[in-house]
Amino acid sequence: MFDRAEIIDKNFIDFVRSNNLPSLDSHVPLSDTDLKLSDLISLFESQVQSRHIDLKARAFKNEGKCFYTIGSSGHEGNAVFGKIFDIDDIAFLHYRSTPFFIERSKHLPGSTPLYDLALSFVASSDDPISGGRHKVIGSKELNIPPQTSTIASHLPKAVGAAFSIDRAKDLNFNQKRFKKNSLTICSFGDASVNHATALSALNTASLVKYNGGHVPIVFICEDNGLGISVPTPTDWIENRFSNSVGLKYIQTNGLDLIDLHLKTVQAEKYARKYRHPVFLHMKTVRLMGHAGSDIETGYMSQEELSKIERQDPLLFSAKILMDNKCLRSSDIINLYEECRKRISKIFEYASTRPKLIDPGEIMSTIVSDVGNITKPEALKQIDRKKIFGKEYSRLDKKYHMAKLINYALHDILMQYPNTVIFGEDVGKKGGVYHVTADLQKNFGTRRVFDSPLDETSILGFSSGFGHNGFVPIPEIQFLAYFHNAEDQIRGEVATLSFFSKGQFTNPMVIRIPGLAYQKGFGGHFHNDNSLSIFRDIPGLIIAVPSNGEDAVRMLRSSVRVAHEKGRVIVFVEPIALYMTKDLINKGDEKWTFKYPDVNEEISVGDIKKYGDGEALTILSYGNGLYISLQAKQEIEKKIKKKIQIVDLRWLSEINVKKLLHTIGSSSKVLIVEECRKSGSYGEGLLSDLQVASKSSLKIKLHAAQDSFIPIGEGATSTLPNKDSIVKIAQELYNE
Amino acid sequence: MNKQRVVVVCPGRGSYSRDSSGYFNNHDNRISSHLSLIDNKRIKHNQLGVIELDSMSFKSKIHMTGENASSLIYACSLNEFLSINLKEYEIVAITGNSMGWYSALALAGAITYENGYDLVNTMGSMMKDKIIGGQLIYPITNNNWIIDKRIQQKVLSEISKESAHISIILGGYIVIGGSNDSLKRLKKKLPPIENYPFQIPYHAAFHTPLMQTVSERGFNKIPKSFFSKPTIPLIDGRGFIWSPYSTNIHELYKYTLGTQVTKTFNFTKSISIALKEFSPDKLILLGPGNSLGGATAQIIIKNNWNFIESKKSFLLNQEKDPFLISMGILEQRDIVSL
Repeated sequence: MFDRAEIIDKNFIDFVRSNNLPSLDSHVPLSDTDLKLSDLISLFESQVQSRHIDLKARAFKNEGKCFYTIGSSGHEGNAVFGKIFDIDDIAFLHYRSTPFFIERSKHLPGSTPLYDLALSFVASSDDPISGGRHKVIGSKELNIPPQTSTIASHLPKAVGAAFSIDRAKDLNFNQKRFKKNSLTICSFGDASVNHATALSALNTASLVKYNGGHVPIVFICEDNGLGISVPTPTDWIENRFSNSVGLKYIQTNGLDLIDLHLKTVQAEKYARKYRHPVFLHMKTVRLMGHAGSDIETGYMSQEELSKIERQDPLLFSAKILMDNKCLRSSDIINLYEECRKRISKIFEYASTRPKLIDPGEIMSTIVSDVGNITKPEALKQIDRKKIFGKEYSRLDKKYHMAKLINYALHDILMQYPNTVIFGEDVGKKGGVYHVTADLQKNFGTRRVFDSPLDETSILGFSSGFGHNGFVPIPEIQFLAYFHNAEDQIRGEVATLSFFSKGQFTNPMVIRIPGLAYQKGFGGHFHNDNSLSIFRDIPGLIIAVPSNGEDAVRMLRSSVRVAHEKGRVIVFVEPIALYMTKDLINKGDEKWTFKYPDVNEEISVGDIKKYGDGEALTILSYGNGLYISLQAKQEIEKKIKKKIQIVDLRWLSEINVKKLLHTIGSSSKVLIVEECRKSGSYGEGLLSDLQVASKSSLKIKLHAAQDSFIPIGEGATSTLPNKDSIVKIAQELYNE
Repeated sequence: MNKQRVVVVCPGRGSYSRDSSGYFNNHDNRISSHLSLIDNKRIKHNQLGVIELDSMSFKSKIHMTGENASSLIYACSLNEFLSINLKEYEIVAITGNSMGWYSALALAGAITYENGYDLVNTMGSMMKDKIIGGQLIYPITNNNWIIDKRIQQKVLSEISKESAHISIILGGYIVIGGSNDSLKRLKKKLPPIENYPFQIPYHAAFHTPLMQTVSERGFNKIPKSFFSKPTIPLIDGRGFIWSPYSTNIHELYKYTLGTQVTKTFNFTKSISIALKEFSPDKLILLGPGNSLGGATAQIIIKNNWNFIESKKSFLLNQEKDPFLISMGILEQRDIVSL
């Protein structure tokens, strides 16, 4: 008999029937806790239900009815966490959290955990959390955002969510979604805790605590001693985290319901009272392999497996129930068998429910349409005068982009009480380019604050704040710094709406100074000219303004759509244009602008046309647009015809049909792309236009070369410049 | 042969009507010893016995008053339950609407049949002298038994404006509880649809905060010792499942005489939980009568259960192989009864 699921199932009945149950080494008496006998039985029921769900999922997998078999067997102790933590405590969970989910549902009568889980296992479009998009543990009503948690990427946002609870309280922020005394809980495995993201989150939580801040979070490490096939060294987790600065470490035996209860209450009380992070270490076992497809005998002997299976938490629970005279062995077997039949029927029915097949339906939740219903406040002159101070009388003067964005951020912080700004050096220093200058002075350290030098935490914080009703405006100091934290957006932030049918959102406007053409300061880190990292992430809005006036209006509409629709916007600010004042000639100040009226916005997707000559159309954005405008006069002189230049502004929202209309009778199109050619937005636009125009247009892509940017005089050598644009435009026109 | 798994649904007040009177004349009496016990008690308390009441010609002012209707319904439901052919059907859960909760407690073994009667009669007779407030029933579905969210919203908003309460969420109906004044105003405000809004005669503002004193008196009169763990899972008026193993008796007592009496009874939730968390082969609606059949069907439709999406598809399905067995309908009763 090699089917471990079958063996474990049979063992349970045999061992209970023969009262051949394992004993706990150190047994905590029930009288040491406030647990009632009915509570113990209820926990056991959740454990058994979870087990039968695992068994049924395996059976269903063999019948081709189930698409996911990572189970919770061995982790049934986490039912206790579901019991102790309040439903107001947002839970970012490990994928082995079925018992938690079932137990938490008992806090909310009328929940349907078994049916919902069954729908999720069979990937039915009726699944209330993901609509059949993934087997996730999640529920809006149970305050569990959907998680797949395979790479511990949920820890940073859990820390952000925890931090946001007390921050909302400090700010007296009435649009918050989390209750003021609530906690965040976050569970993960002993192997995934080695991920950089997990360590980043744990480090940030500790650092904030060390700095005197509040991060009311209980990290729960469910340590089964294995990462798929690789053993975690015995006591590694304990030795690694028991003496970690800023983390209160508590260990519990995941096989012992009573010890679990005692220690979890201890962890919960500590975190709730002191608002500090706790590391709750649950030692347990893993049963039935990593997933259905994992053949454990490939890396473990039969003896080792049998030894682990003898540690089945259900056997220990049965022993506790019998010792405490809660249930007799016959009751336990009846309970177990009744549950088997019930789960089986539920799964059979769930498997008949509709599946998600239609592409339109699949994609319909990439973007949520649900945001904050509270309208932003109308700006009052008196408040603006007070906040802007001396600057108020200078608002009608012309400025470069950095200054204008700074003004816009002032107004946004005034208008949207749910906005917060954070990032590296954004506080007292006002950012490395002074874009956030004076914001901390004017709005306080609770709304504008410096973050640790860790982009993963910055973006995790953003997601956590977003979950709590804020619209965070984080700054990633340089575009290239985004890369080390990419998965926070790709794997977590951007997928939240998709995997929750738009029920959960984490709105944010991520400001990222970036792109090339900087003089005197550079290298590829500070002059990074690739946006391809964003291009394939569904649902993101990518904004790249080319001038201060547009930047202000685009930033305002970005914050509005984040607030109203829960959207995620990446707002890329071309550093080289921050301080640029002149367009054509030195001192012409044609690239300075007045601060636009507070009601002016540029809707997402709106483009701008410069000139109306139809001999040639240049499509560009950011620095490319600026340089194209510089080249315009010379091109027109050379070809003796007028041309037009289109600023795309929103790279993710290009409406090709509308763009073709703008191009009009112009049959020659030059795309000036300042980013590296491979994977650039220009590359995509080229093919989209070719297809949409049925190849009636002559289109050329003039992009930067596929090179990193060097430091010094060669900093712009691989990029499009005025001369190259003139030359290629002329060639194209003459073709 | 595998038994069919069924969830049993106990009807509430209003299920005993002119049509169902004479129940014990028309059905085998399987509870004669229990009935004797009940009737002895009733006679001792100067109440008409159940058998006598059931044999009399139907008069609203006699048969629909709390002290008589509750006991009649309880007795009929008990008899219906004991008529189910357990060789072919396995009862996996029991639920009920409103006073049907008391019947459900008894049928699930959480209270003895005799104590169940005392509970029913005590709570049913509590307002013998003066009924507190009343109940209005109003439909919120279209002709196809699909809930019309606009009507629903409008009714909820009027309830809130008139300081009335949602007494029962009853499939395609909302039962409104409140003072007579607030109900009078609501009757004028809610657009008439056929006979609705309809004030249910002899009904109080059940399941609303107006019942606070009734709840307190209930706690005084009914001891906790009446209650035990059910032997069959029970689904209450919030959709909570009381397990035969883990039920906390104190909590069950508190719910039955507290929460259940003063807070909204969500029958829609009870049936939805029965469907989703037990996935039964059939629902069996006990008699007397079939007054809960429509509401139960509307909940099946709301959940798109077995792909039943409208009144039309429900009726079609019922013709072929009924999923909802109403024991008040003779042909359907025959399917499940001994």
